[in-house]
Amino acid sequence: MMTANLLPADVYREIEEFVYREARLADESRYGEWEELVDDDMMYWVPRGEGDFDMEKHVSVIADNRNRLRRRIKQLQTGARYAQVPVSPMRRLVSNIEAKPIADDEFNVQCNFVLYELRIQSTNNIEIWPGRIEYKLRRSEGGLKMFLKKVMLVNGDMPLPSLAFLL
Amino acid sequence: MTSFASLIEPDRIHGSLYTDAAIFSREMKVIFRDGWAFVGHESEIPEPGDYITRTIGSEPVLFLRNKDGEVRVFSNRCTHRGNRLCHEGRGKLRGGIMCTYHGWAFSFDGDLLAVPYEGGFTKAKENYSLRQPKMASHRGFVFATYNPDPEDFYDYLGYGKDLIDKSVSMSPVGKIRLDSGWVKHLFKANWKMLPENQTDGYHANHVHKSFLKVFSSQYDELKTNEEKRVGSVVDWGNGHASIEVSERYDGPLQWLGSNEERYPEYVKAMNEAYGENEARKLMTEGPPHAYIFPNLFLGEANIVIIEPVAPDLSVQHHSPMLLEGVPEGLNARIIRQSEGALGPSGLLLADDSVISEQQQIALQGKSGWLEISRGVDRERLEDGKRIGHVSDETTNRGFWQHYLAKMNRSSVETPVEPELV
Repeated sequence: MMTANLLPADVYREIEEFVYREARLADESRYGEWEELVDDDMMYWVPRGEGDFDMEKHVSVIADNRNRLRRRIKQLQTGARYAQVPVSPMRRLVSNIEAKPIADDEFNVQCNFVLYELRIQSTNNIEIWPGRIEYKLRRSEGGLKMFLKKVMLVNGDMPLPSLAFLL
Repeated sequence: MTSFASLIEPDRIHGSLYTDAAIFSREMKVIFRDGWAFVGHESEIPEPGDYITRTIGSEPVLFLRNKDGEVRVFSNRCTHRGNRLCHEGRGKLRGGIMCTYHGWAFSFDGDLLAVPYEGGFTKAKENYSLRQPKMASHRGFVFATYNPDPEDFYDYLGYGKDLIDKSVSMSPVGKIRLDSGWVKHLFKANWKMLPENQTDGYHANHVHKSFLKVFSSQYDELKTNEEKRVGSVVDWGNGHASIEVSERYDGPLQWLGSNEERYPEYVKAMNEAYGENEARKLMTEGPPHAYIFPNLFLGEANIVIIEPVAPDLSVQHHSPMLLEGVPEGLNARIIRQSEGALGPSGLLLADDSVISEQQQIALQGKSGWLEISRGVDRERLEDGKRIGHVSDETTNRGFWQHYLAKMNRSSVETPVEPELV
């Protein structure tokens, strides 16, 4: 039994609520509201899968610091990011959430997801994006915010179609 | 019978070139098997036994370093029953190459060493070596061809030699390494759209409007003012083509969004290697933005491979062009720049691939002729190069004229009769 490490139920609920909200805002391409969940030291990282990747030594699919992420979102908000004009209708399922504390008011959260994306701008195919997410969350005045979202796609090292939306 | 000359005119091309399955399979033979194609860079397989799997057109190949430290290219196929020998994108072999089906074993030089139960197999093993294309390399860039009597390698490479030299000379020791991995970007589009787009300077202000609006203050001015667009495009012959991006920069390392103060060790090493004047010129102009026919793109600080998969399916692979003899911080910056521009989530390429897919969908119909005449009356010839305004289709015309020369040279009758409309 690992009950000693269990988060209190209300904290776990708060984290779960964050994960679901983040997923819904990303699904609906509500970039501004999604960005409100992001802390100033955010890293948004999509390595080429689950392998032992080092951001400084290996090329990633995405390795955005806060500044580049801000610009990525602004680019989407111009309405001329053609890879997302119109935005892909998407829904994702998030499951297998495991959360543990890493410091005072900081949490490491891991979960699985499957995202269905309709590539409405081009092929009209449904694209399936399966993977695992690692978050680092911090509780501040406005509630929980993330300072890491690492998305490890099952097929991250395989050829991937245009991925301009927020994973 | 329809000849390729009836599909490719100097200033227009027929849409069936992007959709016809017979044309695609002909290209795989004439361009990719019978001509030279890029396989990989020697730095990808530093140690004996290191291998990478790739394709040359539709041929699966194994790019391997042997026990003597020499690189080799083989068809990735057992000579017994055709099983694929290596299944992963990269790896390390010990001792030899063993087929997983019946256990035939080959040396790192492709020789058949042993077959299980020798009693039943009485043929001469020396006739069952792995198929090995001819190979040639320049500055660690390895090319191969299955043509037993190919064009001279440096005749094929032409000005491509100078373009590769220029890329490599961004390193003070004249060496690059591709060891940070490859991102693979799927295009549901014909492979020829990739080099056409890589060397098209016309689309930038339109397709990349969202990027320019966020990252550059000049969008509105450049949108309407043709004369303000800085740079040129060059058809280097042999199908090689570039956009000359260097004219955008007036100081060292601007191509990396940086400056010389931030990398004093690099500047010092470059000055010592090339002399101050030449070093300053190299560091200011930056690496070329140049396509080497048929499947290599020197994408500034990226090496890019174009992989044709099917008439309507291609993969663009990119790896940051890391430099030897520089502080690691500089290479980390090259990796970040690479992610910013290229790949499925690139702030640029995510849009290009969707445009190519839209083109491919539209061309499935009775597509007719596509126009590539832009700038035909204002380009100029210089030392065998054809130079145009940065927004002109000089590069695309160069690509298609070379393509036509290659395809027409083949003795095979074209099996296609597309309806010319």
